[in-house]
Amino acid sequence: MEKGSFISRLFTLIGLVLLQVLFLNRINLFGYVTPLFYIWMIARFDSSMSRTSILLWAFFLGLSIDIFSGTPGLNAAAATLVAMFQPGIVKLFVPLDRHDVLLPCSASMGGRQFAGYLLLITALHHTVYFILLSIPLGDWTVLVLKVVFSTLLTFLFMLVAESVTGRSVPKH
Amino acid sequence: MRTLLDFLVKHSYVFLFILLEVLSLVLLFGFNDRQNEAFMTSANSMSGTLFEWRTDVGQYFSLKKENDALVEENVRLHNLLIEKTDSQTVRMMGTLSSDNVIAARVVDNSVRKDDNYITINKGRRDGISQGMGVYSAQGVVGVIMAAGRSYSIILPVLNGNTSISCKVKDHDSFGFLEWGGGDPYVAQIKDMPYHADIQAGDTIVTTGFSSVFPQDIPVGIVKDVEHARNGYTLRVNVNLAVDMSDLRWVYVHTRTADPEIEELYNLIND
Repeated sequence: MEKGSFISRLFTLIGLVLLQVLFLNRINLFGYVTPLFYIWMIARFDSSMSRTSILLWAFFLGLSIDIFSGTPGLNAAAATLVAMFQPGIVKLFVPLDRHDVLLPCSASMGGRQFAGYLLLITALHHTVYFILLSIPLGDWTVLVLKVVFSTLLTFLFMLVAESVTGRSVPKH
Repeated sequence: MRTLLDFLVKHSYVFLFILLEVLSLVLLFGFNDRQNEAFMTSANSMSGTLFEWRTDVGQYFSLKKENDALVEENVRLHNLLIEKTDSQTVRMMGTLSSDNVIAARVVDNSVRKDDNYITINKGRRDGISQGMGVYSAQGVVGVIMAAGRSYSIILPVLNGNTSISCKVKDHDSFGFLEWGGGDPYVAQIKDMPYHADIQAGDTIVTTGFSSVFPQDIPVGIVKDVEHARNGYTLRVNVNLAVDMSDLRWVYVHTRTADPEIEELYNLIND
């Protein structure tokens, strides 16, 4: 991997961890709904990255969140799982014959496909996250509510992030 | 053999995935040891420093409010000094002397979860250890759950695992204060004896039985009283004296239980 992209990824990681633990973790609407926006980083991994480095970045992203949230292993487990399936999920939403490097965003994938991709990634992550958080599993309705509404809130944050970064990044 | 090796190399990321997941799950389900709690919770010095920095920045915006609170407390303490009529006052002053109390600043706090925790900026280095009582100028806050080197975690009243022995002021009826989630301003005493003469508006204070807390630290004011389902006890709803969502400074009561009493309790529990 290039040195430049390593450093820029490192800054992205630090920025997202700070945003998550200083501000977003404090949001707890109705005692159920917390946005876990940090997975934005995983959603934006481009197709030139090796599977190994995707997994490692996601694991350390999750672990950093855990260290500051008092939840050892919880975010690391959920983030690593999403990173395992991220390349596959991208392929669900783009034409099969593309071989160029693809950075997931609305410009490269198309707005509707990108939204669907984000929603699927977020739903997968939040389902794993809240199941692990709620063990031993008790109340299924509460669990489903937490997953659904937190997914929607995180998705909303991602749309905002896309509308902000989408303009500043030149189209490929 | 060659193809097998090729296959393994090509799919090495699968093994990495399994390794990372196992590692995460060991972290998640293996940390039951109380001693380790402080490490991965916000009592570790890295997150403690980060949260303290956030508090530092945030505090500039509430300096006036904080000043007012300090002035208010000064007035209260002055009044206590001037009155100084009964033994209770003397005892109250005793608890505020520097031998028994460590002032600490809240660096992280939550009130909206099912189980809330508070992080403060004092730890083992400052003489804090597990089981010490914590209160603010307004009243009872909670008990130290884990002490890191320079930060500690409080198990506050707003946590399902907290139980604080308390009584009606100037009465002998006592019970245990617990919190069942929901409203962060109201907690319950579930096992008050049926014959206890208790009414809305009565003041609830600590008993001082376990010496985790000094005697007569305010807990709250009785909101209403219900009959428990079993018909033998009362369920008392208490408006908490402390607004947990607006905590800045707390006092840690460092005089822990008499070792002999502690030993007896341990004997019973074993």
